[in-house]
Amino acid sequence: MISYSHTIGIASDEGRGFMNPVDIVLDSENLIYVISRSLSTLKRVRISVQTIDSEFKHEFANWGTNPGQTIQPTSITIDHLDNIYVSDEFMHNISIFKKDGTFIKRWGEFGNKEGELNRPCGIQIDKENNILIVDHLNSRIQKFDLDGNFIFQFGSFGNTEGKLNYPWGIYVDKNNNIWISDWRNDRIQIFDENGNFLDLFGSSGNEKGEFNRPSDIHISEKGNIYVSDWGNHRIQIFNNDKKWIKTLYGDATISKWAKQFLAVNPEQNELRNKWGNFEEEKRFWQPTSICSDTHGNIFITDSCRQRVQIYKESQENK
Amino acid sequence: MVIENKVDLTKYSDLAHLFRRAGFGINNQKIKEYSKLDYEDVVEELLNPKYGNPEDQDLMDRYFPASVEARSPSHAIPQWSWRLAKSEKILEEKIALFWHGLLAVGGIKLDHGLEMLVEIDLFRKVGLGKFRNILQEISRSPGMMYWLDNQNSHKDAPNENYGRELLELFSMGINESGEGAYTEQDVKEAARAFTGWASRPTPFTFFLGPFPMEFKFDPDDHDDEEKTFLGETGNWNGDDIIDIIVRNRVTAEFICKRLYLFFVSNNENHKEIQKLADVFQATDGEIKSVLREIFLSDHFRSEEVRFKKTKSPTELVFGTTRLTDRVTIPDMDSAELAAQTTFMGQFLLNPPSVEGWHEGEEWIDSGALVERINFVSSELSHHDSPGIKRMIDEVVSSNTNSSPEKYLSSCLQAMGFIEISDRTKSILVDHIEKSNKKLSEESLAYEIFTLIGSTPDYQYC
Repeated sequence: MISYSHTIGIASDEGRGFMNPVDIVLDSENLIYVISRSLSTLKRVRISVQTIDSEFKHEFANWGTNPGQTIQPTSITIDHLDNIYVSDEFMHNISIFKKDGTFIKRWGEFGNKEGELNRPCGIQIDKENNILIVDHLNSRIQKFDLDGNFIFQFGSFGNTEGKLNYPWGIYVDKNNNIWISDWRNDRIQIFDENGNFLDLFGSSGNEKGEFNRPSDIHISEKGNIYVSDWGNHRIQIFNNDKKWIKTLYGDATISKWAKQFLAVNPEQNELRNKWGNFEEEKRFWQPTSICSDTHGNIFITDSCRQRVQIYKESQENK
Repeated sequence: MVIENKVDLTKYSDLAHLFRRAGFGINNQKIKEYSKLDYEDVVEELLNPKYGNPEDQDLMDRYFPASVEARSPSHAIPQWSWRLAKSEKILEEKIALFWHGLLAVGGIKLDHGLEMLVEIDLFRKVGLGKFRNILQEISRSPGMMYWLDNQNSHKDAPNENYGRELLELFSMGINESGEGAYTEQDVKEAARAFTGWASRPTPFTFFLGPFPMEFKFDPDDHDDEEKTFLGETGNWNGDDIIDIIVRNRVTAEFICKRLYLFFVSNNENHKEIQKLADVFQATDGEIKSVLREIFLSDHFRSEEVRFKKTKSPTELVFGTTRLTDRVTIPDMDSAELAAQTTFMGQFLLNPPSVEGWHEGEEWIDSGALVERINFVSSELSHHDSPGIKRMIDEVVSSNTNSSPEKYLSSCLQAMGFIEISDRTKSILVDHIEKSNKKLSEESLAYEIFTLIGSTPDYQYC
């Protein structure tokens, strides 16, 4: 059903490569936009753009508080015009860029009143071209139009049905239902487009169907549900009845960029070979987010391994 | 209200002193909570912290993924910074800081933040236990083995670096003439016993980030011939060498001297150190027992040592931050606190050499003093922080029409029962008298807190 394809990435604070990639999105031309969270105290954050074949294009949204800059970028999404939206947990705002990185505008203010934000993280645009924001320290989801005008909100702190505890990722499905990775409640919750609770699945643990701080939720073209089980360092896949079908622990191979690096740094390659723990090298370490394209590719940001692992869903299961 | 009852004042003052030394200070509210217990029970609570992740460790890892994979000490430091600012198990952090300075592994050569965090965690787990166990564990630390070149120590060509530092810096010490209670031959024999103890090759942190380092013992590369060490002959391995070292009275005296200088005073007191060495030997080198002896002693609670120890940068920064209680979640502010200690001369997770840091009065030179005073002033200027608000409430509610002396006294108590010299007191009382009619009570309290934080007295604990 799903098989490993290849890996993009190498550790880098500039140019080709990533440093702590935490979110990913694709545009209409299948260009891949990756947030490198890096260490914000070292001032190295950015968004880099590349192809699925590891061709680096450009980067933007580097460290800073000025318009067009970010400090703690957390989530990225794209609208029907291929404009890029980035949430920043430090500045409590949303910045908007053209796909070439040109800054358009930003909006959002810190606070807990209607329309204000406290560490916004997961963002997603729905079918009506409104943006949904996981306002995680306010334990709520807020909906705005693309100019930042508040529309409505739902959610509050707690652990019963419909309540949220440090939520992180968000996905809006084809029916405009809203799926939330309710991070510290170790579960996924589903709401209708008006914020009414519909369903939930998952509980705390490390067995099949259990989660340890799930960070993101994504549904593929084929309707499979992917959950990044961040604290268990794995991806769990469920069918559209929310029944567990598979767990991925990571299958990374050496990326094209890494191969080039090792070829010109033979001493590093030699040390790697002496170490020889290649199984460990493959594994996810805090996989943070998931997205997919129309060709069946599934992209997973492997945040502590400076790479994106790419899987492919086979056609026969369509 | 200003505490005037002498019994309460003594108890509060004793508790504040204990927490400044066993931890990083304490605010007045917590002193009052702990005062419901006997002093001896508070000491036991400090000595027996339960091991486990502190609250919000998951949030720390979420906000700072670069500190989880920690490719360098700079990447790792937000993790320890968070614990130093927030952990309730303060003696666990304090003893980790002690061993970090004594069994020093430097980031300059190791440059593996992940391994440095593993080492600090090791000190949390075993740092209050038997010294034998601490040395056995650190001798199996791949970071230490790499740092002191033991991966280059082979059966047919022992490298003496680890054996030498084990004796000279980690356990027995040397006197002012540079002589130890061991010979050059003992160093060579110790080095032979540690041949084959090494770290496994680990890939450079580039290109995927770090992988955990691993200890490796290679029996084929270990010298298993007879050795004579400190007068004892046998087929010794590294653990045997440690066992012989730990039984030696000189080791008891050296470790107790270091504990005394870290927890009690800048100045050695031979008589007290000998008492501690007796406890060390009677308890098979248990650090917890030595600390209990320290904290319960009349000497520790006497005026002779109170406010006679220079605050390390870590004590100054995290003590002040805990006073203001400003850090609530792992954010940029909490992540950057450790950078402040670096400006003052203490780059945590990256000691300058295998000797660790030179402590006591050496912490303060003219450059460091400016950094220290500026940091404290800046930290105390966060008037909206919960700790400052509590302090203000306390001072304002207890000082209607009180004398400048009483006003100052309540400010000092609000800041955690700080004691200052008569000279400093006189200057501050003058200032209060002059300012009393110009400033509101709140503004005056803010000003006095900042002035107290800027005094030479605040540099001591």
